[in-house]
Amino acid sequence: MDTVNSLLIHGANALLWLWDAIGSLLGRLWSALDAILDPILSPVLAVLNPACTVVGDVVYAVLSPVPVWFGLTVLSLLAGVVMLVAFRYVSNQEAIGRAKDDIKANLLTLKLYKDDLRVMFHAQGRLLWAILRLQRYMLTPVLVMLLPMLLGLAQMGTRYQWRPLHSGERTLIRMKLDESLEFAENGRFAADMRYAEDTTYTPVADAKPGVTLEGCAGLIVEVGPIPGGGEMVWRVRGGEPGRYQLRFHAGDDVIEKELVVGEGLRRVSATRVGSDWTTQLLHPAERRLPDRTGVESIEIVYPGVDSRVYGANWWVLSFFVISMAAALILKPVFRVRF
Amino acid sequence: MKHLPGSKHVLCLIAAVALGAVLSSCGKDSGDHLDVIALGFDGVDPRLCERLMDAGELPNLNKMRISGGYSVLGTSTPPQSPVAWSNFITGGDPGGHGVYDFIHRDPSRQCMPYYSAARTIDSDEGWEVDGCRIPLTFWPFNHVAPHTILSRGGTPFWDYLDEVGVPVWVYDIPAHYPPSISRRGNVRCLAGMGAPDLMGGLGGTYQFFSEDVFGVRKEAGGMRRPLEFSRHAATGTLSGPANTYCPDREALIEFTVYRHPKEPAARIEIQGQTIVLAEGEWSSWTKLDFELEMPQFMPNSHVSGICRFYLQQVHPTTRLYVTPINIDPSDPGGQKITEPPEFITNLADSLGLFYTTGFQEDHKALSNRVFTDEDYREQADQVLQERLRLLDYALDHYEDGFLFFYFSSTDLQAHMFWWDSDEKHPVRSPEDARKYNQVIIDLYKRMDGVVGDVVDRYGDEAVILVLSDHGFSNFRWQFNVNTWLRDNGYLQPPNCRSLLSSRPLVDWSRTRAYGLGLNGLYVNLHGREREGIVYPGERDALLDEISEKLLALRDPGNGRPVIAKVYRAEEVYSGEYVEKAPDLLIGYYRDYRASWATTLGDITDEVISDNDSAWSADHCIATFEVPGVIFSNRPVVRVDPSLVDLAPTILGLYGVPPSETMTGGSLFVPGAPSAVSRP
Repeated sequence: MDTVNSLLIHGANALLWLWDAIGSLLGRLWSALDAILDPILSPVLAVLNPACTVVGDVVYAVLSPVPVWFGLTVLSLLAGVVMLVAFRYVSNQEAIGRAKDDIKANLLTLKLYKDDLRVMFHAQGRLLWAILRLQRYMLTPVLVMLLPMLLGLAQMGTRYQWRPLHSGERTLIRMKLDESLEFAENGRFAADMRYAEDTTYTPVADAKPGVTLEGCAGLIVEVGPIPGGGEMVWRVRGGEPGRYQLRFHAGDDVIEKELVVGEGLRRVSATRVGSDWTTQLLHPAERRLPDRTGVESIEIVYPGVDSRVYGANWWVLSFFVISMAAALILKPVFRVRF
Repeated sequence: MKHLPGSKHVLCLIAAVALGAVLSSCGKDSGDHLDVIALGFDGVDPRLCERLMDAGELPNLNKMRISGGYSVLGTSTPPQSPVAWSNFITGGDPGGHGVYDFIHRDPSRQCMPYYSAARTIDSDEGWEVDGCRIPLTFWPFNHVAPHTILSRGGTPFWDYLDEVGVPVWVYDIPAHYPPSISRRGNVRCLAGMGAPDLMGGLGGTYQFFSEDVFGVRKEAGGMRRPLEFSRHAATGTLSGPANTYCPDREALIEFTVYRHPKEPAARIEIQGQTIVLAEGEWSSWTKLDFELEMPQFMPNSHVSGICRFYLQQVHPTTRLYVTPINIDPSDPGGQKITEPPEFITNLADSLGLFYTTGFQEDHKALSNRVFTDEDYREQADQVLQERLRLLDYALDHYEDGFLFFYFSSTDLQAHMFWWDSDEKHPVRSPEDARKYNQVIIDLYKRMDGVVGDVVDRYGDEAVILVLSDHGFSNFRWQFNVNTWLRDNGYLQPPNCRSLLSSRPLVDWSRTRAYGLGLNGLYVNLHGREREGIVYPGERDALLDEISEKLLALRDPGNGRPVIAKVYRAEEVYSGEYVEKAPDLLIGYYRDYRASWATTLGDITDEVISDNDSAWSADHCIATFEVPGVIFSNRPVVRVDPSLVDLAPTILGLYGVPPSETMTGGSLFVPGAPSAVSRP
């Protein structure tokens, strides 16, 4: 029994090591890719996001009279059709057709020649090759459609993922600070940020908070900000309904963040982010934060939309199910092969 | 004959509906049932009730009194809540259900104490690997995993209602953890007192973090841990459930507290959740995921718990209280606190998270001075608010049948705040004693309001019963049974300090009797106790001798008699569990009770000493001193009714005869008092 136990433990250790190694390798690959993409995509998104937000506002203004689930269904159907048409013109339909025919032919071979091992192995090899070819032909349209699709999904996310804060409802505002600027010669603000992290309890009499939040009718600050851990956090309650620009005074800078208070679903920007392209992609509704303010992001922790059809995270599932179903059903109409 | 198009389908549909209706009615009576609603208010005292009713302060209860629906209600012997509620549940005395005290002892291990109403069955079966023992519960190993069983015997009276198809809803019932299985599926039951927290503690284990605590310190009902701040940030560690498979691997969760450098506010970061609190504020319920480490080749298991944080103080010394880690009602895992098991998640879906431990008011935090009086009052009020929301749910989801709802507030607030005397309070000034006694009076008024709401809603169509299991008394002096036994030569050697823990220990080869629990006194009986020396033939004479001396005892401080009654088990109990009973049950006069040290067998210098605890009122005394109350919207005609009469009363309302083990009779039928609990 001891040998079995020992084998199991050593085997588990080896697997854990392998898992960590793969994770580390993927992490390095992503870092390298990020370093290449960031200088390209960050300025591109800074231009595309506001444009997409305008388009999104127009689309949702048109959809506003219909129920939310119906609007999501219409958008998903349209996306399915657009993807289908785009796929037809971007992909090599002829090559895809050949690869698919090869797959069918080799599957038939496998069924017919079960007793002939040589033919079976040959067919399996050809089948694998056809599948790889098909994947390769699919890759181009996927890459072409990826960015528009992500931009569209991000816009949808601002409507379905979160809902506006209700009046009187409690939540948090988190301001993430750029710790790399802690010792930068960046005037008073950097020093205040450092104070927030480094100061000891005594003496505190002359201590000043590094960031202040200007009062506004849409918000009641209950507690905070509490600094620590590279961020400052406020506990707030929703005030009067409306769309507001919160003003944070950070040293000599004034940084704004949109706040939405009210009932129903509206465009909600949970986080205003910095220049990082991945976060810009996820939070498109506000302009990115100015550089060198010492603030990485400002997040309002909005409640998720509560619905099993179009609510937080469910809307993505609904979107993919409906758009894929539409694409599959309409495939013969548009004479698309995939 | 020409068939209508689709007529076959219509006929099939009708047949299917009819079949479905027949099948769904199998095992359930689909008819309308009488509504019976019982509200159990633990510890509501008849003296205070009558005084407040006379003063017009309890109008709803007084209405019932005027219409004949009120009586003092005989309690159990001894008048302890698990015993009393077991009498209610089974309709019989402790001889029939086997619960005689909060604490029982195992004579096969001489006097090892354990909680009377539930027991955890440990198992030494399992695959020993990587410092763990993994029970392989499948064939061919069939190991038994550690599990908890309900050790209260007897049959709950609602099982008989279940059998005849009456829907039953029982909320927060004491002494019924884990809840028994409903054979016909008509019972919905949430376990109350006796349900543990995630750490397995009966009363729950709070965790208190403070800058002025050095090192981890465990105390009754909780633990203290240090918080060391650097740059206004400190890291704390929350203990979680015991890892029964790998006992050396604790389930811990680290969290960080950031306090504002000068404002009275702080932020807690725990498992990706952020809690911002101002001084004196409580967080809402926070879900925690405890990871139980398993052998390396197995995935770790996870247990979900819930707790609330209370930021007691920020400057100059930061103090943070964390409630006991409760079983998560939205994800209870393998913990069964309701019948059927999914009932708890249904409740959580509707109500959100709530206390699931049996003892919800954290009286130990007050006794240990972690809480101030105000802290405790606020926490106890939160418990009451939660329970009132649960009652709303219960009434909203109640259609017909039997509904029972239990409130602990009247008991656990009374233990800490009751003081109806001008004498010196154990820990409060006279002004504070009066102020906090008023909390109890206000609580009674709120309870009267609850009764009024239920009567307004169901009074015309339902039989409404409002009952308490016992009353209350001040607790001024504590009596150490074992010190008295030692001083009188029954317990040896003369310098012994404890039955179980502190040295010098008792010499069992020379000890004839010992005390354990709140009312129990046991003979060290040969053939029963592992090291028993008193032969059965000597037992009666010894018990007579001890009883006589106890009844003659006077408090040297004031000359008052201390013990009102000494009960012999075989005289007051009958049933299959009498053998488990203490040989004698000590019934104290008001103002007295067994000492804190007595309950777990410690021996102090003085036989009688002042109670110096915030726990300043009690009821574990003579049965006749602390009866409960019964109110009803029907006249109560039974003479000297008692707790054991409730089960036959409720069964009788549904036409179900009482079982043979039930010793009482219906409250609504004239009759002689029950044999039990009438000392």
